[in-house]
Amino acid sequence: MDWRNGPDQFGAVTRFLHWTMAVLIVMQLPLGWWIARMPPALDTLWLFGLHKTLGISVLVLVLVRLFWHRLSRVPLPLGPDGPARRAARGAHLALYALLMAVPLLGWIASSATGIDSVVFGRVVLPVIAPLSEVWSDGGFLVHAWLAWGLAVLVGGHVAAALLRRDGTLSRMLRGRV
Amino acid sequence: MRRLASTLGLALALASHATAAPVAYVLDRDQSSVAFETDFGADRITGSFPIVAADLTLDFEQVGNSTVAVTLDVSGARASFPFAAQALRGPRVLDASEHPQIAFQSTKVTPEGDGARVEGKVTVRGVTRPMVMRAEIYRQKGTEAGDRSHLTVRLTGVVARSAFGATGWSDMVGDEVRLTILARIDAAP
Repeated sequence: MDWRNGPDQFGAVTRFLHWTMAVLIVMQLPLGWWIARMPPALDTLWLFGLHKTLGISVLVLVLVRLFWHRLSRVPLPLGPDGPARRAARGAHLALYALLMAVPLLGWIASSATGIDSVVFGRVVLPVIAPLSEVWSDGGFLVHAWLAWGLAVLVGGHVAAALLRRDGTLSRMLRGRV
Repeated sequence: MRRLASTLGLALALASHATAAPVAYVLDRDQSSVAFETDFGADRITGSFPIVAADLTLDFEQVGNSTVAVTLDVSGARASFPFAAQALRGPRVLDASEHPQIAFQSTKVTPEGDGARVEGKVTVRGVTRPMVMRAEIYRQKGTEAGDRSHLTVRLTGVVARSAFGATGWSDMVGDEVRLTILARIDAAP
């Protein structure tokens, strides 16, 4: 198995990171939507912890992925250079930006509430924002907007992969076209 | 703990050697507690505050001469789950760093049923509001009937936390906070 990316193929590390994050994000978006509006109850409090655990995992994985892609460059999107490729490149850049911004804003807003952010059931995240209602309310608001943006991009990303039928999907599944 | 046959209102009739004057009591801090309870959806958040000081003078003949003053430590507050305790002490609720204490001072005590009605002022977050508590007095376990040297005072009351600006998490946590003060007291020597 090829761990590294090639000029036309995705290596195992990139594919593993891609699909792990895909699973996390597919869980995270509806989970976030739900915990923001579920009725308060003691037996569902753990869902906030789960959301934070998955979110910090996404943040760590996207940073690992960006670092890995510095070491092992990813291939360009398939197809000729043109508007479609530029759109794909733009969408990928926006996905990376949101995969950092959304968890980071959740972390900032949580920090601003003054309540510990506990992930993996025991790890207390450092506080990265002043204790302030403006920061927490504003942070959660932007967190939610950007998460909607992320959901739209993910939807477009999935639709494009399914509709292109040019080997894009199989390249991410098996490594090569 | 057996209920003292006499309460503030009925004490006079039942006690064989009724104390003629107001009696000052000293709080047994380790055996006393202030419990609170509020709604969290269909569930409840419970917790407690340490009592810093309690100043009680009871007059079993002239109930109106009785006075109650209680001071609570906010930074030592506990709650039924860790996030609730943090939220409670934080600036959006009790703001322990700015207002480390809650104080209650009675202004009027009147007999009511087999207990007493204690009107007073409570200060939370630096905001003072009127509050009414219901008092019941019990004789402590192992004391003789008529012996008022060791008593348990149970004070119950309700506050709306919004009245004090303690409005944090009002979308999740109820406004009404129910308090039960259990003060075990000994007659001052």
